[in-house]
Amino acid sequence: MENIIKKEINYPYLTRPVEIYERENGHKIVLAHKEGGLVNVSSWVKTGSINENDENNGISHFLEHLMFKGTHKHKAGYFDKTLEAKGAIVNAATWKDYTFYYVTLPKGPNDAYLKEAVELHADMMLDPVIPEDEIGPVFTLGDDNVSQKRERHVVIEEIRMRQDQPWTKIYNSTNKNMYTSHPYRRDVIGFPETIASIPRETILDYYRTHYTPNNITTIVAGDFDHEKVLELLCKEFDFKGRENFQNPQYQLDKPVDEAKYIELKGKINTGFAITGWLGPIARDLKANIALEIINIILGEGQSSRLYQNLIEKVAEPVFNVVATDFYNFKDGGNFFVQANYKADKKDEALELIKSELEKLLKGDMTEREFNKAKKKLKARFAESAETVSDIAENIGYYMTVCDDLDLVEQYSEALDSITMAEVNEAAQKYLALNHSVTTVLLPE
Amino acid sequence: MNKIVLDNNIPLILKENKNTPRHALCFYFKISEPEQKAGIYTILNRLFLQGTKNRSAEKLAQELDENAIDCYSEMKQDFIRFKLQCLNEDFEKGLEILADIIKNSTLDDFEKEIIKLKGEIQAELDEPKTRALDGFYSTIYKNHSYGHTYTQILKDIDCITKQDVEKAYHSLIEKSSKVISIAGDFSNDCVIDLLKKYFSDIKNVVDCKIENRPQDLNKAEVVKIEKDDASQAQIIQGWRVPSIFDKDYPAIMVMNTMLGSSGLSSRLFLELRDKKGLAYVVRSSYEIYDQSALFNVYIATEPKNIKTSLEGFKVELDKIKNIPVSETELENAKNNLIGKRQFFSETNLQQASLIAYYEDKGLGADFEERFIQMVQDVTVEDIQRVANSCITDNYVLTVLAPSEYLKGL
Repeated sequence: MENIIKKEINYPYLTRPVEIYERENGHKIVLAHKEGGLVNVSSWVKTGSINENDENNGISHFLEHLMFKGTHKHKAGYFDKTLEAKGAIVNAATWKDYTFYYVTLPKGPNDAYLKEAVELHADMMLDPVIPEDEIGPVFTLGDDNVSQKRERHVVIEEIRMRQDQPWTKIYNSTNKNMYTSHPYRRDVIGFPETIASIPRETILDYYRTHYTPNNITTIVAGDFDHEKVLELLCKEFDFKGRENFQNPQYQLDKPVDEAKYIELKGKINTGFAITGWLGPIARDLKANIALEIINIILGEGQSSRLYQNLIEKVAEPVFNVVATDFYNFKDGGNFFVQANYKADKKDEALELIKSELEKLLKGDMTEREFNKAKKKLKARFAESAETVSDIAENIGYYMTVCDDLDLVEQYSEALDSITMAEVNEAAQKYLALNHSVTTVLLPE
Repeated sequence: MNKIVLDNNIPLILKENKNTPRHALCFYFKISEPEQKAGIYTILNRLFLQGTKNRSAEKLAQELDENAIDCYSEMKQDFIRFKLQCLNEDFEKGLEILADIIKNSTLDDFEKEIIKLKGEIQAELDEPKTRALDGFYSTIYKNHSYGHTYTQILKDIDCITKQDVEKAYHSLIEKSSKVISIAGDFSNDCVIDLLKKYFSDIKNVVDCKIENRPQDLNKAEVVKIEKDDASQAQIIQGWRVPSIFDKDYPAIMVMNTMLGSSGLSSRLFLELRDKKGLAYVVRSSYEIYDQSALFNVYIATEPKNIKTSLEGFKVELDKIKNIPVSETELENAKNNLIGKRQFFSETNLQQASLIAYYEDKGLGADFEERFIQMVQDVTVEDIQRVANSCITDNYVLTVLAPSEYLKGL
């Protein structure tokens, strides 16, 4: 057997340590034990919209669709049909830093289904054909005479679906305006014009460049024989000497100097708003925990400040929905305040949100709020250890976005040791009002 | 799995799962008196987290979050269920809060909740899919509480009084049949003692039978919803079909799996998405209620594809009605359906929810095992028979699209 470096990580709420193997070619394999009859097999690739430009924006996601269109060994449809006939959930997802593919299924008698899933999953990851007749011909948008409407049109329909969603509209606008040059400014799914015109060869080139051993982590979570499965994974994930690719490094843009405001119109009845800020890099554990704490205190759930102060305690209703969210990204996360409000109360809504932020920035967080947030974060680990899919997804995130699982092991200690002062500092550093970008969507 | 009946006649089903960090509990209350005005139970459901005699809404929210306890109620067509999920060590605290919510809710925030609900409905209806589904359900269940959608609630909401909601609360606590289920890493005796401590004063009405069947659908109805800036048309076509109590339930489940409820290898997915590139989302669904059930097909597509999509539906539906499915496809669909059951019952909360659901329906908490056997017994002839009995000329078709694309439908 090849030379493999092994290390173990104690993962909260799992009964055995998680095993990480790094192969000579850079391909990483992670095995996690979870009692039960289900297993998850997944591969995470370090590519997403971060590796795109204006010409190929959306290619990572388009490729994700096309990876299901057959290999030299198996025709399109074989993978889905074979595994779904064993009760598998088969799917994939693309985001800014990663693309991942997964199969969750019963492990079967003597792990037979697990073995078949590994074989088919590896075949799909390493040998996709991406046939022209499955992609569909390049066409001009608006041309009604296209006869072969294949996967290009499916992706364009996915884009259309998102165009009709008010929240997506304003998220995209805020996201785009928070950056000046970092690739994160692009919408992951791209635009219909681009998808209609990308030729097959460009897609294949992109696949060959990014789907390299050092860019892929394969994870198996469930109750299985680790030695046998590791051997099988090494055999099936035969990269045949494929050259590695080092992803370019990007510096995150500086936040805007002056608060930026964008106003959009649509055929809707209520008003929508999203305000966003640039956050810390994903490996800055303390800063990320600090923003997660702020997220819980400010805008998560019915005990949050925004809900209590802006929905429950106001004399005249202004908001229908007001909450916060925090996304972690490799080069820097995003913090958002999202609101839906009475269409004629936009100014009041924005002013109320601003006043809540100002209070927080002055450092008025209470110890009770701080402890509540910490308790919720602890419980979140228990939650994410309940299913093989969640375990694998969490591992995939850390391995791909944070480059390692070490942060999982350090998380509890960092959470225990973080202070209110550190959280307040993070608020001032990342959530200054003049660094914010707001998009509103109003009725026409 | 263990079933006992508490002294107050409430069935309690316990499912022990070692090495799981969070307990999960479900408490089902069957709605025994259907609402006369759309929204009464929706408002009651919301008011369950808006304060008790012992805790204000704010204190309730704070106490739950400070202990990382997920505790909420969900209103469905036939029942309201409470769900409780927390770290094992916080379970008693969670039970105490849940008991307070169930027994002592004040409903004091009635007026405020009406205003909040109206606003939230307006926001929801800005989503095209929500609007299309609203038009569909309110038509296929016209004049029945199952058709009490967002738009129906907006019509009735100003006529709803606090007394209406108090009456519904009283009916739910005093006149409904109830079920409790718990899954987690516990000892039975300990949990039973806790349940007795907090819920022994709630009485159960065993076998409360409700006869409230919706009127039959005797024709095809088309509902057109104009949305001139929609990038996609939303199309839903649905039929009223037998429910979970019927002998055809397993066969309809298998037919639904074949057609489009499950994954990337179903007929609708392959034909309308993969081969014709008409949509990103195309699927079928089988929705179960006590008094009725629905079989639906759905697609979201560019408005100029409406006709092609409807023709595509017809081809696939005619095919399953007229051409016997192959043994291989049937076996694949059965295995797909059975295998995925594990996925949907992996967590303690999913397990607690499923066993209480079956018990609430009077099928027995162990129905899952029998259901799997029934699925295995489904034949090629069963599929063709249920396809012909379910997919008839009596349906509701809802299309949301820019007005120019709705002409001629």
